[in-house]
Amino acid sequence: METYLTMLLLGIAYGFFVGLIPVAGATVGLIAIYAFVGYFTDPYMLVVFTTAVVVSSSIGDSFAGVVMNIPGAGGSAATMVDGFPMSRRGEAARALSAAISTSWVNGLIWGLLVFLFLPYYTQIVLYFGVKEMFAFLIFAVTSVAFMSSKYWFRGILALIAGVLVGLIGEDPVTAANRWTFDIAYLGDGIQMIPVMAGVLAFPELISAYRMRAEKIYLDNAKIKSQLIQGIKDSWKYKWDGLRGGFIGGFIGLIPGIGGSIADWFAYSQTVAASKPEENVGKGHVRGVIGCEGANNAQKATSYVPTILFGIPGAPFEVIVMGLLMYVGLEMGTPAVLEDAKFFDYLLSSYMWSLMIIMPVAYLFIKYAVKITTIPFKYYFWPILASLIWSCTQYTGLAEDYMIFAACCVVGIILKYIKFSRVSFLIGFILSARLEKSWVQFDTFGYTVSDLFTGWLSALFIVFAIIAAIWGMFYNKAKIDFV
Amino acid sequence: MIKKLVTGMVMTMFIATQVMADYIVIVPQKPGGGTSVWTDIVMKEMRKYLDDDIVIRHIPGARDMQGFNKWHNEMRDDDTIIMVSHGGNGVSFLQENVDYDYSEYESIGLMNLNIIAGKIKGQDMADGVKFAGGSGMVPEGLAMTMLLCGPDKTIAQYVTCFKENVIWVKGMSGGERRLAFKRGELNATRENPAAYKKHVSSNDNAEVWFHHGILQADGSHADDQNHPGYQFEVLFEERWGVVPSGELYDAYKLVKSFRDGLQKAIWVNKGNPNADKLREALRQVATNPESVAAIVAAVGHYDWVIGEEGDAHVETLMGFITEAALKTLVRFNAEAFGINSVYKAHLIEE
Repeated sequence: METYLTMLLLGIAYGFFVGLIPVAGATVGLIAIYAFVGYFTDPYMLVVFTTAVVVSSSIGDSFAGVVMNIPGAGGSAATMVDGFPMSRRGEAARALSAAISTSWVNGLIWGLLVFLFLPYYTQIVLYFGVKEMFAFLIFAVTSVAFMSSKYWFRGILALIAGVLVGLIGEDPVTAANRWTFDIAYLGDGIQMIPVMAGVLAFPELISAYRMRAEKIYLDNAKIKSQLIQGIKDSWKYKWDGLRGGFIGGFIGLIPGIGGSIADWFAYSQTVAASKPEENVGKGHVRGVIGCEGANNAQKATSYVPTILFGIPGAPFEVIVMGLLMYVGLEMGTPAVLEDAKFFDYLLSSYMWSLMIIMPVAYLFIKYAVKITTIPFKYYFWPILASLIWSCTQYTGLAEDYMIFAACCVVGIILKYIKFSRVSFLIGFILSARLEKSWVQFDTFGYTVSDLFTGWLSALFIVFAIIAAIWGMFYNKAKIDFV
Repeated sequence: MIKKLVTGMVMTMFIATQVMADYIVIVPQKPGGGTSVWTDIVMKEMRKYLDDDIVIRHIPGARDMQGFNKWHNEMRDDDTIIMVSHGGNGVSFLQENVDYDYSEYESIGLMNLNIIAGKIKGQDMADGVKFAGGSGMVPEGLAMTMLLCGPDKTIAQYVTCFKENVIWVKGMSGGERRLAFKRGELNATRENPAAYKKHVSSNDNAEVWFHHGILQADGSHADDQNHPGYQFEVLFEERWGVVPSGELYDAYKLVKSFRDGLQKAIWVNKGNPNADKLREALRQVATNPESVAAIVAAVGHYDWVIGEEGDAHVETLMGFITEAALKTLVRFNAEAFGINSVYKAHLIEE
């Protein structure tokens, strides 16, 4: 038992550390485990360790966004939009407390729902077919497309640019390279991490290099008061957090949608539900709560297709599956589904990780907010090193560096000419997924009218129409982040 | 400031990329993929019989061609760098512009696998097939075309027949394909043996449709004893009364042999002084019951073809390459599947 406890604590520490590294997140952290997977002599030790890494990295990745304006991971980029302005106003502890509370509560709710009722989800996963997927993506695209900045026209152009960059790679119809300029590296498209690091994080890093440190000093009493305020905020805006959790939970359940969309989708719904005078998008705690709800929920539910069918519900689950297979636990097989010990260790390590990481994260806030008082140039290099490390985990070749460099240039240009980088990123995330979904929809011979023949696809289309009408005629909220 | 920034960046990159190892194994796939998992497990066993350490390096990209090309062009002269490839690389070798060339390497060992097509139980596939297509599924597409359309047809007739009978659904990942088959949106699918057991055999509503057979040293294909009587050639003869033959069949034999016959393979450059040592380690893996059990548990039971036998296996495969078979493959890819593939004349000249 001591060994498992050690694994749990090591996993939590490692996961939290990985979560703190800008843009790294659970996937990159789990890939690094391959280097020492041979040391896991007992397969259940690895179950405990990987689960602890997943849970604690989800909590840890809020910090970079709020304190440094750099996304902690692909699924937590939206946190920085409202989190960092709060931090600059001296409310870093409040933003972090709200983010952690919301992420933690949704992790608990969706974790319990997943692990206690796992077999019952089979029918939900199987019900979601090609038609439903296409309708859901239309709804998601419609919702996030109207999440605009005050430079709305430039935002649309940035969205289109993001779509075009997302389409670089293999054409799903001809299986030929598209827009790759005969560069083999681009055959699988541009990866998410360098785009996130280069377009979103690097320009912020450069800006911050010249930025003066905050003069707002947070003493222990202020930090404590902000911590409590953050928890109160989570309760006050609980419906935003729970809605975010529902969106994240749903997206995690269905393989193929892609986890990166969850937080932006949840964030767009919070923006939609907010009043213009609340200024969500300009540093309001509601914006932090809305997207953080999706983060942990998506991680929890992505275990459902992974365990039940051996089909990864999110990119990090591909790595989890590979690691567990290495020690003889093959997801989706009767051997695992009938293995009571596997489920015991999975559930207990998930719950214990949540219980342990919460006080750790709250305690860490005290130290994290101090970063805002240190001139950025002192931690510029470690952050840049971590960005480079994250971006070069793909192949480790020179091309990884070049793509990161190219994304940095694009990011700086977009920021300088005030083309929304958020819109660019959303276009990038959605384009390939939407195209593949369309190709499937089309080759099955479905038509638009077929979208209304199933209740679920019809419901998503109705939601999409409502989102479009709201976006065009009633949306007053604008986010400041460009 | 710019000077400081650039100096710092270079130093950071240098520190971030240092790796030390005795052997480096290149896998052309991301961690977690089928071949990556296979490599992890096989190398874990091989380490036990080598005095040196083995580090796995993933170079994914370009439908898994990039890593193999990089090794071929830049790394294979280094005696410590080993390559692992999979069946998809074999298909790409035939129909895409790649740099790698199997005739230039020594085989350490390979696993000759079979791919099995499943269908919804009781369904008559003559009523129409819904199948997740892609460049990796070309052998299944050719086999089902011949099974559905029969013998003695021109390529144009086969193309027409394919389009009338098969909905070739593109853009599906492996996970999406498996779920679509489970819920009946697709009425047929294909898997390697281990995945077939997991995703199709366990499905009460599914059954074997056909399989391709296992490539033998003489170039023939033998029935898979895990699914006897379902080999394509056997089913074709039962259905149409003649053995399969003709241009399309030659193209089918070519592409299925390159994919399944090289399903998992370990290579070094010709003349690599470490080849014998590596082969010996692999022979020990293949004969040690514990190592065999570990590999079988993860990837299923398939025999190894090690060392010189592997080189002979590659020779056999190269013998399948004819101008007619290659041209038919490229034409059918383009006209039936809509796949953009190239005719590689230099393969004939070799």
